[in-house]
Amino acid sequence: MEILKYTLRKLAGGIPLLLGVTLVSFVLMVYFGPDKTWELLSKNPTAEEIAQVRSQLGYDQPFWVRYGNYLRELATLEFGYSDSTGERVTTILQRTVPVTLALLAPGFVLGIVLGIALGLLAAWHRGGWIDRAVTGLAVVGMSVSFLVVIIAFQLLFGVVLGWFPVRGWNVHDLPSYLHYVTVPTLASVFVALGYNTRFFRAVLVEEMARDHVRTARAFGASPVEILRKNVLMNAMIPIVTRTMFSIPLVVISGSLLIESYFGIPGVGKVTYDAITSGDQPVLKAVIGLTAVMFVGILIVNDILYKFFDPRISLGRTALQ
Amino acid sequence: MSNNDALLEVENLCVEFGDRRGAVRAVDRISFEVEPGRTLGIVGESGCGKSTTSLAIMGLLPRPAGRITAGAIRLSGTELAGLPENRMRRIRGAEMSMIFQEPMTALNPVYTIGAQMSAVVRRHAGLSRRAARRRALEMLERVGIPLAQRRLAEYPHELSGGMRQRVMIAMALSCRPRLLIADEPTTALDVTTQAQVLEQIKALQRDFDTAVVLITHDLGVVAETCDEVVVMYCGRMVERAPVEALFSAPRHRYTEGLIQAIPKIRTRRLTRLPVVPGSVPDLSELPPGCCFAARCAHADTHCLRRQPALERMGPSRVACFHPADAEPVR
Repeated sequence: MEILKYTLRKLAGGIPLLLGVTLVSFVLMVYFGPDKTWELLSKNPTAEEIAQVRSQLGYDQPFWVRYGNYLRELATLEFGYSDSTGERVTTILQRTVPVTLALLAPGFVLGIVLGIALGLLAAWHRGGWIDRAVTGLAVVGMSVSFLVVIIAFQLLFGVVLGWFPVRGWNVHDLPSYLHYVTVPTLASVFVALGYNTRFFRAVLVEEMARDHVRTARAFGASPVEILRKNVLMNAMIPIVTRTMFSIPLVVISGSLLIESYFGIPGVGKVTYDAITSGDQPVLKAVIGLTAVMFVGILIVNDILYKFFDPRISLGRTALQ
Repeated sequence: MSNNDALLEVENLCVEFGDRRGAVRAVDRISFEVEPGRTLGIVGESGCGKSTTSLAIMGLLPRPAGRITAGAIRLSGTELAGLPENRMRRIRGAEMSMIFQEPMTALNPVYTIGAQMSAVVRRHAGLSRRAARRRALEMLERVGIPLAQRRLAEYPHELSGGMRQRVMIAMALSCRPRLLIADEPTTALDVTTQAQVLEQIKALQRDFDTAVVLITHDLGVVAETCDEVVVMYCGRMVERAPVEALFSAPRHRYTEGLIQAIPKIRTRRLTRLPVVPGSVPDLSELPPGCCFAARCAHADTHCLRRQPALERMGPSRVACFHPADAEPVR
């Protein structure tokens, strides 16, 4: 019951945030964005022709009306038609978003899960050779650029070994999916794992040094029980935060890089093309929906906090 | 010095920290016994090894840095030093329990009081969920927590410090251990709560005939609760005496200084409290002689060269060449 109230409050609190974020993205991307007037006009246009085109494009409307239109587009998910292909933007998104999700999900989940597992392993053997080996490899993983990793993996798996395709996305069933998703997944896991392992190791080391861990040992708890109840459950807040907040990063930068290097027709590729060609309807949709996703993630993050930590209450923070 | 009635016997216990290159002896040849129903106090200032001693008994020394290098720890005849971890686990919380200084952080913040207390009794007594819950409730009522039923469903942050320490005591005694180690149980509490918590420990000790090892730096607490006292300095035992003898006739010059430094109501106000001058030497650079010599007004060259052994003096034992109220030894 309390958690329902908390959820509703958080959702309500998300509304002004949503308005603010969409306002900023509207101002930057649409209001001061590319002006298409001159593209649609012939040489030496008259003042009337200019005014006519501007009115067609809706540029003569007042600011708030245009912002309202943008919000309506977001709410109804109707963004008009792409300037470059003439395809309906909603159709483009329906086609490309699932590809991106299918492409990124395995790498994202594996990066987090393996990061926690390796972090736990290193933290448990803190100071020993296992710890030194894991953190050393993590630093190596962190030091290599994503681009280098992508190219190296493409060369290794696609050219030298020839096991997996490294271009395109000809997916129609599970085997073909695994065939195409493996190399991008390996590349993104390789890049994320170093950062994740170091982060989770630091978090878990801190939790292992807590007084209540010593109390649990003093009452005869087994290592497995201590790891589960005292260490992991208390580390859930940083783990959840890290996980939730890496979603936008993975979706934006990950999909942009991976899709363009692997020639995969996902939303990242569409966005990249829209940016280079100034395709405003597509950009509006992508930017607006990314902003909405951010706000959604913030709200889900807060709700998960409440779920994992009983000390979190509405409004005031319960200090120890 | 063996005592057949003793529940806990610690004999020449040595604990070292660090590796071979720079080992520091945090506990140096400590010996004591505690009988059922009795309370032994270990006093000394921070870093003197009193907490390390208690952690060594519980087998909770931080590893791999800390280890027992010599000596014996026997709980009703069972040697605990070097016992494998899985056997120690069955003893901890069941036959001996420990409560800690920081009630605010000693409980797991994300589980309810009831869940944490039940987990202990289920683990050791093999009780069913419901029976464990009943035992937890009964223990909370025994330590005088009002509305105990409701407290079971609460989280540690919803309880005050004194309340949490009582929960710790209830949890520590829920499996009827024969030994309770209390490491500064009242230091973090305000004075009125301190008295209640100490009273609670004493009452339960009487009921269950538990032996208690009380670690503290508060001589007031010692005077009120202990039967026998061990005074530690730099990891060594400098004096061991029944509590009355310790306060009426402190023998070691360090004990004497500690007792003089207790603030009390005096007829004539002092301009400043008497203090023990100087500071504790670094454990890694202990002098060859008596470790207190540098701060002692009675020290001579002999004290600087040789370590005094523990000698009997009336009911007390003291490691000092020039103990208080005595003819010079030499």
